[in-house]
Amino acid sequence: MGTILVVAEIQKGAIRESSYELVAVARELAESGGHDVNGLVIGSGVGDLATDFASKGAGKTLVVDDVSAANYNVDIWSKAIKAAAESTGADLILIANTPSGWDVAPRIAAGLDCAFVSDCFKIASLDGNGGNFVRRVFNGKLDAEVSTSGKTVATVQPGATAAFEGSSDGGTEALSTDLSARASFVEIKLAESTGVDLTKADIIVSGGRGVGSAEKFPEVIQPLADALGGAMGASRPVVDAGWLDHPYQVGSSGQIVTPKLYLAIGISGAIQHLVGMKASNFIVAINKDADAPIFEVANVGVVADLFDIVPALTNALKAAKG
Amino acid sequence: MKVMVCLKQVPHQDARLDVNSDGTWIQEDNIKFEINSYDTYAIEEALRLKDAGDAEVVVVSIGPDRVTQALRTALGMGADRAVHVNDAAAQGADALGTAKILAAVAKEEGADVIFTGLMADDDNASAIPPMVAELLDMPSATGVTATEISEASIKVERELEGGALEVVELPKPCLIAIQTGANQVRYASLKGIMQAKKKPVDVKTLADLGVADSAGHAHNKATINKISVPAKGDTAEILEGSTDEIVTQLVGKIKELGLL
Ligand SMILES: Cc1cc2nc3c(=O)[nH]c(=O)nc-3n(C[C@H](O)[C@H](O)[C@H](O)COP(=O)(O)OP(=O)(O)OC[C@H]3O[C@@H](n4cnc5c(N)ncnc54)[C@H](O)[C@@H]3O)c2cc1C
Ligand SMILES: Nc1ncnc2c1ncn2[C@@H]1O[C@H](COP(=O)(O)O)[C@@H](O)[C@H]1O
Repeated sequence: MGTILVVAEIQKGAIRESSYELVAVARELAESGGHDVNGLVIGSGVGDLATDFASKGAGKTLVVDDVSAANYNVDIWSKAIKAAAESTGADLILIANTPSGWDVAPRIAAGLDCAFVSDCFKIASLDGNGGNFVRRVFNGKLDAEVSTSGKTVATVQPGATAAFEGSSDGGTEALSTDLSARASFVEIKLAESTGVDLTKADIIVSGGRGVGSAEKFPEVIQPLADALGGAMGASRPVVDAGWLDHPYQVGSSGQIVTPKLYLAIGISGAIQHLVGMKASNFIVAINKDADAPIFEVANVGVVADLFDIVPALTNALKAAKG
Repeated sequence: MKVMVCLKQVPHQDARLDVNSDGTWIQEDNIKFEINSYDTYAIEEALRLKDAGDAEVVVVSIGPDRVTQALRTALGMGADRAVHVNDAAAQGADALGTAKILAAVAKEEGADVIFTGLMADDDNASAIPPMVAELLDMPSATGVTATEISEASIKVERELEGGALEVVELPKPCLIAIQTGANQVRYASLKGIMQAKKKPVDVKTLADLGVADSAGHAHNKATINKISVPAKGDTAEILEGSTDEIVTQLVGKIKELGLL
């Protein structure tokens, strides 16, 4: 027994898929443990969305509906979630690990002086004394099993489970909370569109930190992309180091691509890169570390030094084309 | 203005990771450590404030003796002072316990601005910075790639998904968790490293900070029970052979896809 509180997030006027994934996690735990599930929706003009959330799995849903909450605000969200956690007496508070989720969730745990688990992809169990969670550590190379004692706030990795598709009983109820904020929202700046649009490429050859330096991109990666008639891409550290510009970045904070062929070269396969390319039709990974997580999503892998394989492959492709 | 930077020393990005004997963390003997990549950008962001005016930059790290190296590097880059919380009770503390220790240091220092990294490269938690801010009752922003400071506030750009940015203004005092790529990180110069040897490193225990009864692994609410290599699902077909043989197979696959 007990209660699981699911915090919804609204994006472009709709409740995000990741919020319904949280509902799925909560419903599964509730089924075996007999918990109640409650929702929380924060925003402006969100009455209908909250009603929807309540009937599509979240159960009784608390709503903070105010113009001051039109955009995500760390102060308002942390006060609202703490208030909802207290009023529902939740033992588990679930928040999706999105940019607003990871910004606010740890504050809730600190404010309630309770356990916190971030970015878990599985919640194995939950009882009155805490739960058991599984998450990735070391950028995808290892799994950690974490247990908590008492009340727990957890963020869940988007995409780790399918969204809940059933229905539930439960209406909405206004939650009154202090809406004053110190942080003030200024604006959202959308990504500037530039010449590089990887989303249209049929073939993408991406290089990662393993490529080693800026010069190696025109020397090693671009020639392979050219030989294939494809585009060049990169992982984030390549862009952070200034070896290539941001439009080349593939991943959660870059572009989401689905080419017919994606080559990941010297890329380890951290989740933030994988979400940007794992839906590609065919993936080839070249990495000298046989345990690199990229091999988990690749169709074909080569465990070798990229500087041996890539130039030889480029030459062979040129020869094959005649 | 006093600027505090929280930095963690983590296994080197290219270190071999083996699970330790009790299966709860990695084997730390005989591997190289370095400053968490995210934190190098946080140090740089703080040093830019110092370059621009009268900021004093204090770097803080919780960890065993080896952490001295990381603090010396940050001092070599230009930080003024270091605080090293070195206490066996802090080892293996959960995120909230660690945040309580950092908050105690920040209180002692009276920091106007606290910079941290967005995430540690080892635990990948992105947990501690917002906790520190909550404990200090300060506003915070995470995933920050640009800052613009004025007398009473800091305007920051937070990274959202797909390259979008959220611009938020925070009054001081506040905490800012920096994302990688926010700036071009400087190296410690030879002169800087020489000067760093004379800069003070205060070593503290949890008792010194008054948190021995609330922080540290004995007070953990979240505990790692097991670390393991992820179960392999449908992994890739690994091509074997000489370079030529591998390349021939790759060309064959690409032909099969009709992409040649
Ligand atoms: C909020 C957030 C957003 C992020 N967004 C993105 C994003 O959009 N895109 C992204 O990519 N990352 C993103 N990241 C970063 C991500 O977590 C990883 O740090 C990053 O993907 C690692 O890049 P990498 O694989 O190139 O580097 P590493 O993880 O360092 O891997 C380098 C690989 O190269 C291999 N290698 C080295 N030398 C050779 C050689 N000679 N031959 C063959 N292989 C070699 C190594 O074995 C290793 O596997 C984000 C992180 C956060 C927290
Ligand atoms: N032991 C530590 N000492 C000092 N700062 C830390 C420590 N652990 C984490 N931090 C800070 O908190 C950030 C996020 O870490 P984490 O929440 O563990 O992902 C890091 O980038 C550091 O700035």
